[in-house]
Amino acid sequence: MTHEIDLSQLPPPEPYDKARDEAQRARLLQAWAAPKGWRRISAVNNSHVGKWYLLTSFAFFTFAGLLALLIRAQLAVPENDLVSQSLFNQLFTLHGTAMMFLFAVPIFEAVAILILPEILGARDLPFPRLSAFGYWCFLIGGVFVCGSIFFGVAPDGGWFMYTPLSSDPAYSGLGTDIWLLGLSFIEVSSIAAAVELIVGVLKSRPPGMRLNLMPLYCWYVLVVAGMILFAFPPLIAGDLLLEMERAFGWAFFDPDRGGDPILWQHLFWIFGHPEVYIIFLPSIALIATMLPTFAGRPMVGHSWIVLSAVGVAFLSFGLWVHHMFTTGLPEISLSFFSAASEAVAVPTGIQIFCFIATMLVSKVRPSVPMLYAGGAMAIFVFGGLTGVMVALVPFDWQAHDSYFVVAHLHYTLIGGMLFPLFAGVTYWYPFVTEKRMSDRVGKWAFWLLFGGFNLAFLPMHWTGVMGMPRRVWTYDLSDGWAVLNMVSTVGAFIFATGFAVFAVNVLWPRRNHPRVARNIWGAGTMEWSGEVPGNPWGVRSIPYVHTRYPLWEQPDLLDQMDRGEWLLPDAEEGKREMIVTDILDARPLFVQRVGGPTFLTIGAGVSLGAVFILATFHLWAITLAFGAAFVAFTLWWLWTGTAQVPEAPEKYVGRGLTLPTYAQGNRAVGWWAVFITMTGDMTAFTGLVFSYFFYWTALPSFLPGAAKLPGVLPLLIGTLLMLAAWGMTVAARGVLAQGRRGVSMALLLGAVPVGALGLGAWCWAALAAGLDPTVTSFDAMVWILILWTGLHLSLNWVMHLYVAARIGAGICQPAYRADVINLTLFGHFVAVTVAVTFVLLALFPMLMGV
Amino acid sequence: MRRGTSILFGVLFLTALGGCDGRHNWMAGAGEEAAAIGDLFLILMVGAAVIWSLVVGAAVYAHRRRAHPGLEREARLFVIWGGVVFPVLLIGALLVWGLFLLKGITADEGDLTVRVDGERWWWRVTYETPTGDVVTANEIRLPQGRTALFRLTADDVIHAFWVPALGGKMDMVPGRETTLALTPKKLGNWGGLCAEFCGGAHALMRFDAVVMAPDAFETWLAREAETAQVAADDPGFQVFLDEGCGACHTIRGTQAAGPVGPDLTHLAGREKLGAGLYEMTPEHMARWITDTHAMKPDIDMPPYPHLSGPRLDTLVDFLMRLE
Amino acid sequence: MPKVTRYDAPRVIDSGSIWILVAAPTIWAVHFLLSYWVAAVYCAKSGSGWLGGLTDPRWIIVGLGGLSIAAIVWLGMIAVRRYGGVFVVLEEITDSSEQGRERFIGHVALLLCALSAVAIVFTVIPGLVFDRC
Repeated sequence: MTHEIDLSQLPPPEPYDKARDEAQRARLLQAWAAPKGWRRISAVNNSHVGKWYLLTSFAFFTFAGLLALLIRAQLAVPENDLVSQSLFNQLFTLHGTAMMFLFAVPIFEAVAILILPEILGARDLPFPRLSAFGYWCFLIGGVFVCGSIFFGVAPDGGWFMYTPLSSDPAYSGLGTDIWLLGLSFIEVSSIAAAVELIVGVLKSRPPGMRLNLMPLYCWYVLVVAGMILFAFPPLIAGDLLLEMERAFGWAFFDPDRGGDPILWQHLFWIFGHPEVYIIFLPSIALIATMLPTFAGRPMVGHSWIVLSAVGVAFLSFGLWVHHMFTTGLPEISLSFFSAASEAVAVPTGIQIFCFIATMLVSKVRPSVPMLYAGGAMAIFVFGGLTGVMVALVPFDWQAHDSYFVVAHLHYTLIGGMLFPLFAGVTYWYPFVTEKRMSDRVGKWAFWLLFGGFNLAFLPMHWTGVMGMPRRVWTYDLSDGWAVLNMVSTVGAFIFATGFAVFAVNVLWPRRNHPRVARNIWGAGTMEWSGEVPGNPWGVRSIPYVHTRYPLWEQPDLLDQMDRGEWLLPDAEEGKREMIVTDILDARPLFVQRVGGPTFLTIGAGVSLGAVFILATFHLWAITLAFGAAFVAFTLWWLWTGTAQVPEAPEKYVGRGLTLPTYAQGNRAVGWWAVFITMTGDMTAFTGLVFSYFFYWTALPSFLPGAAKLPGVLPLLIGTLLMLAAWGMTVAARGVLAQGRRGVSMALLLGAVPVGALGLGAWCWAALAAGLDPTVTSFDAMVWILILWTGLHLSLNWVMHLYVAARIGAGICQPAYRADVINLTLFGHFVAVTVAVTFVLLALFPMLMGV
Repeated sequence: MRRGTSILFGVLFLTALGGCDGRHNWMAGAGEEAAAIGDLFLILMVGAAVIWSLVVGAAVYAHRRRAHPGLEREARLFVIWGGVVFPVLLIGALLVWGLFLLKGITADEGDLTVRVDGERWWWRVTYETPTGDVVTANEIRLPQGRTALFRLTADDVIHAFWVPALGGKMDMVPGRETTLALTPKKLGNWGGLCAEFCGGAHALMRFDAVVMAPDAFETWLAREAETAQVAADDPGFQVFLDEGCGACHTIRGTQAAGPVGPDLTHLAGREKLGAGLYEMTPEHMARWITDTHAMKPDIDMPPYPHLSGPRLDTLVDFLMRLE
Repeated sequence: MPKVTRYDAPRVIDSGSIWILVAAPTIWAVHFLLSYWVAAVYCAKSGSGWLGGLTDPRWIIVGLGGLSIAAIVWLGMIAVRRYGGVFVVLEEITDSSEQGRERFIGHVALLLCALSAVAIVFTVIPGLVFDRC
């Protein structure tokens, strides 16, 4: 019997009982306490991982900033020889790479992991161990990429690594491999975070927080995580192609072998332009969260800001070619992208106007966070306006790759991202530390940052007009760039001083300072509901939220929460628990048990890191060993931490509600995680499909003669076998539901050899046609598609064995069969991959009359 | 904030005043394409300054005034008119203008065609003339008032061809041919640069773009087409051959026909040495031969440190006579 | 033992309303990619006769634009009729009810329809300006 319930009509709470309250608190503490001493690194709770993430991102920011100072010092005077040409090329490459991949994107994840659960009134995100795994990947990958400069082998091809400079080992060395593999590894952590955050926003909202009541910050996180899911995978596909060319000589970007260097630019910028908005939107989200607090009223045009975020997210995928306006593409093609680049200014501007409108109808309390937000706006609007300029093709032909663009991009990123972030750090500092940053020092830092920034970057526009191209390590006095560069350098050092002051303000030990009052800024959003001093469990009980600003609009809410009058006030079984709600109206669905401290995620992260690092040096045997270790750690983690059979099917959570303790199918967060991850995976595959059609469009003779095509018959047989294996997986799911465990296991185990035979038939087809990936781009394309399918099938096989073993062990049962349902979901995506690949390898060449 | 901003505007203004010369300046108006883009830029710049002042002014005003909750309706309409309608119209108009401008500055053919091939880190230049190709390097001479169509290619990595004073830039992509039309207006020696990072000595990949009167240009081109006048027993030429320079460099009219490096037939007629870097003087030439990588790191040409004394002088003397 | 209450499974696609939020921008994206693809294939392949027989690409692009805008108008009507979407500027939709949530989504969907339509018009403009590659 299921029926709807009106959350506003819940039975009243039981009367307060101090002894019960204390007992509940003690049990919660036991479940949520972080490990002590050195074992603290095994913590997975969002408040720990978020803090590490934040500090690590800022460490990389500081490092990349120091590189920038070296760059500025070198350029301060003409014909300077402070650094060598080779070191300079490494400096600017690493500066851009670290700022983009190790700071700008991870800081979004860091902030979101830190504050999102609290904004949602949740105790954690649904996959805390995944966040921890992502963090360790990020740390290891980042140290690997940055550390390379101390050995003189840092990447030196520019942060967008254009081919053939990056693809031909004659022009670029180990640094490029470090860049490729190190960053691919970090992209893994970004996608992990994206999955975590999407599921977090969709499924971990407090009961009653319907979509129309969801805070703006959550909308932005949802939108940005979705963008990561569609923007990062094409780059992963590109990285794969590039590394295959570098390591094994596959012909993707070499024009002499039917490759095309422009393909890399497409794959890179399909990632690269949305990335700019992936960086910008989360920071605007911080302003959108802070501004109502200081205005003391709800945001004007809440829905217009949602429109703006969703609109920007979509339009940002139609801009990528504006980085390629000078590549000689047909003018009409360029113009479409020019149009989209102009159009994106509209939704971007709407947000700013909503902010101004909110300030117009309220009296904004002056504060340091608002000072930073104001500075952000002044800078960002300027950057946006120059953005409208460079989106015009003729203007871009002058501005492109000149210092004008360097100035433009720093205006948008520092105004759109860094200043809002500094505002956010100042604003949420008391939330994290329960202390307050010094206002006076904060203002000093602001004016140094703001003045230094403009002094450094405003003249830089003119340096560009004077014709200075970017990425030059020296110039001549007669070029006329000397004064401007000197001014920029002075500004850069003032800016750096400002950051140092800011950093001191953040890191200053404040042990003896008094704790701040609860909800120190008088905010309306849930993250300020935590008690002071705080507890590791976050909220005492999970409330029913029926307004946009619960702390303003739901009187007495804090007291009710503190008294444990709302949901999940206890941890009777000593487990970490949260409530999962539905996507639209946040009705409570079930109680989710989340993982506690573990070293398994560190083990998995370290082994995967070792795989990527060792592959850089082509140490294949040890790479393989660490790959096996990674699989082992991951399986161990999954086996002990996910889809556990609960001790009772249901559990009382308070206020008359009893919720299931297990979920499967599209109710379960695990199902959503698989679905979202595989959507990203499909996007990467789409990147490969795009490459195929790109070659076909750009190269007249991409498709070879019939003799050089893989045979249709073996391809067809292989495809049917692989689809049959998929059918067996689906059948295994069905028969397990009927309780036939043995048949289910047999089907799962049987699917492995059937799929392997199918893959074998494909390989045979390619071999028989004599396809050699090092000879032409078509051959390489065929083999990369087969390789991609093969990688997915191998993963699929491991999971088949895993699920079969879980059935054997009685963990995956007819009533609790999330494992096999999620496996089938994965299988569906693999089946689509197989079918599309078949079309590309067999049907499309036939259709084109080859 | 207001004071800081005005200081910054002052800085911009002063640098703008100081920056109107310069051989790489977009705003020098030395070419028709550059002038068209320059006009666009001026209007964009003024428009941007006005819009920036309005938006930031509105924010400052909103921040400073006392609260007027009664103005909610006006505030929301401000979002619609200021944040939606006005930008859509303005940006739409800008887009149309930009597209027509783009259409106007591109051309499929010119009064003369010049092929430029980007190499690491120099420029192989070929003039297409009715009597055949004329090959030179690292210096491009153009007739005033005529549209030159550049056909751009690259051999190794991506470069970009840019003469800021004459017009926009265009990438040179291995495996493709791109085109760029430039119509010089002002006589002078304008700077040319590689704008796309091409590794190593990218910063030192320059050239001179010399705009000449049409008559002078024709004379120069005819002379450039001639072979070098080298006596068979020229002692400098002997050193040139003995050191193996001919394996990489061509001097037309002699047995030196190396295809790797720049053509040296009229080397001394160029204004600069090392791809637009150093004045063409005997001193620079001698240093270039003996200490190449100090003048331009990482390039393929090996240094000849063992050359010195009269032997070096003879070689330099020979090269400086290749006019 | 307190009363046991269970809930329905989440409704996302069928009776839910997430899809209408992304539908209009998706139409923009499809139109954008199709326009780009038509121009690219036309420019790359027109010489080889693959599409050379077809008409001027500008009219294909304009036609695509017209179809897409028609589809968006239709979506806008759904947003209004099924979800009660309104073009409100002067109020916030904060009712804590299913109806409130639906109206909010209908409203945002309507705004996204308008934005997507503008973006499509922007994409059509180059097709009108350029008659060659």
